[in-house]
Amino acid sequence: MSARRIYFVVSILVLAALPWLIATPYWRGILVLCAMNVLLALSLNLVIGYTGQLNLGQSAFFGIGAYVSTILVKSYGWNFWLAAVAAVGAAGLLGLALAAFAVRLRGHYLAIASLGFAVITYQVLVNWENVTQGVRGIYGIMPPFSHPAALFYLVAGIAVLVYVLIDNLVRSPVGDSLRAIREDEVSAASLGINRALWKAFAFCVGAAIAGLAGCFYPGFVGTLVPDAFNIVESFTMMAMVIVGGMGTMIGPVLGAIVLTFLPELLRGFGELRLMIYGIALTLVVLFMPGGMVQAWMALRARLR
Amino acid sequence: MILRAKEISKSFGGVRAVHNVSIAVPENSIFALIGPNGAGKSTLLNLLSGIYQPDAGSLHLEETNLIGLPAHRRVRLGMARTFQKIRLFRQLTLLENVLAGFHIHQDAPFWEYLVYGDTGRFREEARSLLAFVGLEARSGERAGALPYGQQRMLEIARALATRPRLFMLDEPAAGLNAAEVDFLLKRLEQIGRQGVTVLVVEHNMDLVMNVAHRVFVMDHGEPLFEGTPREVQHDPAVIAAYLGGEFAS
Ligand SMILES: Nc1ncnc2c1ncn2[C@@H]1O[C@H](COP(=O)(O)OP(=O)(O)OP(=O)(O)O)[C@@H](O)[C@H]1O
Ligand SMILES: [Mg+2]
Repeated sequence: MSARRIYFVVSILVLAALPWLIATPYWRGILVLCAMNVLLALSLNLVIGYTGQLNLGQSAFFGIGAYVSTILVKSYGWNFWLAAVAAVGAAGLLGLALAAFAVRLRGHYLAIASLGFAVITYQVLVNWENVTQGVRGIYGIMPPFSHPAALFYLVAGIAVLVYVLIDNLVRSPVGDSLRAIREDEVSAASLGINRALWKAFAFCVGAAIAGLAGCFYPGFVGTLVPDAFNIVESFTMMAMVIVGGMGTMIGPVLGAIVLTFLPELLRGFGELRLMIYGIALTLVVLFMPGGMVQAWMALRARLR
Repeated sequence: MILRAKEISKSFGGVRAVHNVSIAVPENSIFALIGPNGAGKSTLLNLLSGIYQPDAGSLHLEETNLIGLPAHRRVRLGMARTFQKIRLFRQLTLLENVLAGFHIHQDAPFWEYLVYGDTGRFREEARSLLAFVGLEARSGERAGALPYGQQRMLEIARALATRPRLFMLDEPAAGLNAAEVDFLLKRLEQIGRQGVTVLVVEHNMDLVMNVAHRVFVMDHGEPLFEGTPREVQHDPAVIAAYLGGEFAS
């Protein structure tokens, strides 16, 4: 068996055991949240890490997934899975809309435009009260599975599937094209790579995956308010990608795990919590810009 | 004639970088484009390769009209290029750089990528291209870590991966030492012998005089002279443009 296979099987076994090792309802909830964050970090990493597009609008797609699926179920009586498909499609389409900016803008300009995009989406969620209930929120949302372990298995299973698919994709010629665009767009074009097409692809797929994560969020918390998709969420996702290691597969997964559990573990520190969190984040960016993956490589190189 | 430009022009603000240039590149030739600094050579190459669109004029690759066609589409017609200011994928390995060059030849269905990932296709061919430019031993290193001269050679290997019919190089010898220039010269001739038309912008007169079949001289954005290397060397207008400097021999 190849090393990849072994890692895969071990990961599956750990995932299967987790909700029974961590059996309190609260921590089981955190596990679900963690799986969701892994999905979000994977989705953003495809756009930022592999394609090099500075996207600060990912929270919008997460929100679209959550609202579209919930509204279709609650107001129109759709089946959850059908609603999820529609929500993923809606998020993907919106990703294409943002890609239209990415074709024209670069670097900081794209960052600002995508941030604006997230702000607008948030404002729509707040103000389009007939449909979204605005800040009053939507209540009594049921998850697709009520057993917390089942919900974890579902979201974690999807995260594993998404991981495997993206991992294959970035090792394939598609990954070569995305990285080429990240490294140098003009060069990429000089090799026949259609940058508009592949940027659109990355944005669309990234948005769809974030939308997919969004489908599970409302049922998990039971309520849906716009604040869950505030632009701060975009930065949290960004932090996960950076802390773990941008442009690597395992990095964002590690980043999502650490940044899901760290705030929970710091709860004992009360108000100091956010400060510790902020300082830790700054230190990471300052001293290991390649994130945990880079730190691990450096450590391994030193031990050899 | 494989490439034909008629009276193409390009201005940047008030600067007429290329003005009314007509050029015809014969198939299977090594065609050199020379001229003093700022003559408009790189701009002309950018117009030919589609990085810029001309303000006026016509442009054909054989029968295909290139006007309006973006750079990435021209690659599929068989046009490849390198850059004066090296533009490698610096964080990627040498092998990954060359593999990216095979983009237009990747025709496996999308689902295969999702299911199998790296298909390993073109890996051997990429390695032999690296060997062709003398870099096979470093295929796993990052491109940005290469010495300057080898970066130029890697850019050539990467462009060749597109399997061009017309290969345009912008000052491939710039920054190379004598031995590297010699190696480059041999490779250019070899590329030419394989039926690829080579259009090379160059300041290194040794190289131009040794490999080029025809030489096109530009100055101040305008065509100055065209002829064989020998004719160019003895043309008074060309010598004047260069102030005798590099042609003093
Ligand atoms: N993108 C641009 N924007 C503004 N001006 C430009 C641009 N590109 C080129 N120019 C101007 O056009 C003229 C021709 O430049 P070009 O780079 O084509 O010359 P060149 O012959 O390649 O020179 P060199 O031998 O120095 O490479 C110069 O005056 C240059 O300043
Ligand atoms: Mg130039």
